[in-house]
Amino acid sequence: MPDLNETIHQPVRLKIMAALVALDSGNEVDFTYLRGLLEVTNGNLGAHLRKLEEAGYITVNKTFVDRKPRTYVSATPAGREVFREHVAALESILKRK
Amino acid sequence: MNISPDEAEEALAAIQKVTDKTRRSIAGSGAYIFLIVTGIVWLVGFLSTQFLTGEIVAYIWIGISLLGTALSIPVGIRMGKRVRSPSFGPTAKRATIFWLLLAFYAVAVIAVAQPAEGKQVTMFVILFIMLGQLAMGLILSFSTTWWALPITALALTGYFLLPDFFYLWMGVLVGGGMIAFGLYIRLRW
Repeated sequence: MPDLNETIHQPVRLKIMAALVALDSGNEVDFTYLRGLLEVTNGNLGAHLRKLEEAGYITVNKTFVDRKPRTYVSATPAGREVFREHVAALESILKRK
Repeated sequence: MNISPDEAEEALAAIQKVTDKTRRSIAGSGAYIFLIVTGIVWLVGFLSTQFLTGEIVAYIWIGISLLGTALSIPVGIRMGKRVRSPSFGPTAKRATIFWLLLAFYAVAVIAVAQPAEGKQVTMFVILFIMLGQLAMGLILSFSTTWWALPITALALTGYFLLPDFFYLWMGVLVGGGMIAFGLYIRLRW
């Protein structure tokens, strides 16, 4: 049976991973857009993104668009795999209900 | 780490909710503007074709088509800033070539078939545009594929069953339908 992942299971991080994995592989989403989508604050999102980046589950790409700073976030292949395993673990727990 | 089945159910529901919201948001946030703009272009263009005569009709079509294109470009750019794809550059290049070739084939077919009236030319153009839309949707995103089918069906219905009111049909039902659907996505989706 797949194991639950403690890093991902935190509610905000779970939502971040769900949003990023919903994108096509390799696509990255703007920080501001992600913040609006998940209805979280700048600081809250930033803190959880750092945790996920440290774990190697996401990539944070700081760049300039039209000379304005922008931050893009995407799930890494490892992050996608871990998220899939986490969902499988949740489903197997649910089956025991 | 151990959690109860109820907690697992809650987590899975949260995942499903965010996944659905993300997909809807990305598919819908630009689509509704394209639908409304195209709907207005078709509504004004086809109504002018139905009720006006002479060169003014061609000028109206050119004017509103250019306006529609000009309004759609910033939307596309804004969407590109929200979600970026590393493969978008080559894909966009291929899509542009595809549309140019499709336009060439449409002109070639019309030149060979030599339609006897404007309605036939209009149907040829609509069929080629919808074919292109279907192809793009199937290759790039299924969410933008399906609406080409009802528009094609409506256009064919108007062409064969209501030939005298074809342009009115196209303007009000198809153009108006696009506007209504765009507003629905904006307000309810």
